[in-house]
Amino acid sequence: MSKINQGNIEVFYKFVPITLLFISVLNEIDFNNLGIKYFSFNFSYILIFYYSLKKTKSFSYGLIFVAGLFNDVVVGTPMGISSLIYLLLCGAAAYLRNITLRPNLMKDWIFFLITILIIKSFSFLILTFIFDYEVILFDQMINIIFTFILYLIFIYLFNFIKTNLFGVN
Amino acid sequence: MESSRDDIVIAIRSAFLKKETQQRFSLLGLIFFSIIFLVLGSLDFKPVNYIKTIVKEIVYRSSYIISGPENFVKKNYVTINNHFKLYEENKINIIKLESFKKKDLSNKIITLENIKYKKLIDDYFIKDNETFAKVLIDKQSPFLRSIIINKGSKNNIKLGMIILDEGYLIGKIVEVNYLTSRVLLISDINSKIPVSLQPGDTQAIMSGKNRRSGVLQYIKDKDLKNNNEELVVITSGAGGLFISGIPIGTIKNKKDDLKTNNEIVHFYRNFSQLKYVKVVSYSREKGSLDTSSKNDSAKQAGKVQEANQMEETLKILLEQKKIAEEIRIKIEEENTIFKRKIIDQQNEILIIKDDIKKNIIQKEEIKFLKLNLIYGHKCKKSVFNNLYKVTSKKYRDCVFRKGLKKN
Repeated sequence: MSKINQGNIEVFYKFVPITLLFISVLNEIDFNNLGIKYFSFNFSYILIFYYSLKKTKSFSYGLIFVAGLFNDVVVGTPMGISSLIYLLLCGAAAYLRNITLRPNLMKDWIFFLITILIIKSFSFLILTFIFDYEVILFDQMINIIFTFILYLIFIYLFNFIKTNLFGVN
Repeated sequence: MESSRDDIVIAIRSAFLKKETQQRFSLLGLIFFSIIFLVLGSLDFKPVNYIKTIVKEIVYRSSYIISGPENFVKKNYVTINNHFKLYEENKINIIKLESFKKKDLSNKIITLENIKYKKLIDDYFIKDNETFAKVLIDKQSPFLRSIIINKGSKNNIKLGMIILDEGYLIGKIVEVNYLTSRVLLISDINSKIPVSLQPGDTQAIMSGKNRRSGVLQYIKDKDLKNNNEELVVITSGAGGLFISGIPIGTIKNKKDDLKTNNEIVHFYRNFSQLKYVKVVSYSREKGSLDTSSKNDSAKQAGKVQEANQMEETLKILLEQKKIAEEIRIKIEEENTIFKRKIIDQQNEILIIKDDIKKNIIQKEEIKFLKLNLIYGHKCKKSVFNNLYKVTSKKYRDCVFRKGLKKN
């Protein structure tokens, strides 16, 4: 009986990351724009990078692509740009996973910083030069810094949820 | 060296090209698909546009449902907050109401005059479509400050229509779907609105800054750095984007915005609290200088004159009322004085009456004493007669009769 329950929990846990991603893109609360002047972070980036790195089942590229489309619709950016960014993030995480023999949190963290710097610059260039959007560079820097800092906190939170709440190893 | 380069290439190839277990699509394929989607979407490729519209309709509705619990909490928080502020707000509103009542008639006259002059210069617009819409999504994005409303092309919503919240400008329609539309808020950095600053009629372009304020760019003909008075920001109507005269916000005096170089426009409305909005479009009223419009103009002039006369009459009546009030107060004061005087006089009369009574009694007494001296012996009882006792009334009557007997 307990085995069945544990199995159910694991199946349920499998869909938590993708559900969280869809809720975060569809919900009106946007951590990218909390209305606080010097504080914003990108929750989706942390979520995608972490779970791609962990090679989580059900966190499929197709669904991430759809989540990106949804994010573009809700946020109002040209459709396809968030998908592209999310997929690049997945690619970076997959690359890190392939080259890593012994996972190290600090290395992951620094790699995450480099990745978000590159993809944010990429999205800034596309939005500014191709789609004529006026993007405030300072806000983007704040966003990158806090996304980078909060990555560690969220990693501990995700691990805590995984082990303590769901009992998954 | 060579082998490490090979390792990187292998790792990249593995990450982007290899279709991993439980992945239906390869990463590179999806990245290419995203780029194609992005490019074709920007080129207005029809099938992509159809897909976009379908996705938008689904996402807007889903987002509305998913944001339900959060909106419920937000709504209740606002309700509770408003409840606590109710008493103070009521007090302020009463004061405001009084002041607005006073200004109402003057405003009516100014409005009518304004309409008259606008018609004369062929710049009078009338509402030709007005729809109320519910805000479905109010997600604040760092790239685009916009809201989604539940009215689309099905409800005759068109691009460029103006969005008002209780008469204040909040944005315009930038995207129309079948059942929904996107509104670009004036707080967005990309929204450029031709505005006019009153008093002074200074022309400028306003851009969004944050949720509650915007900044003025390209201010024409005026240095506002030493501005000490509060300026009202309204749409100027330049460029034909918006009609003129829609209120947007205020520019407070410089003390408030000392730290910034730009002129800060404080919006009248709080864009994070939008629930229902009004979508309107305006059209120019036909015929301005033809016969009918002249007649209209004459009618308007008549109305203005009538209103002016009413105001004059009202002023006179108010003056008369004031004078009558003063007279009434004066009369009341005099009346009070007279009443006091009457009471005093009545008291005096009573005193005098008492004196008179006493005098009469004294006179009678004196007369009695005089007659008593002369005729007392004729009435006085003694051993030899059977007359009256000295203290009795009969003795007194006898003295007054001068000792004569009764008939």
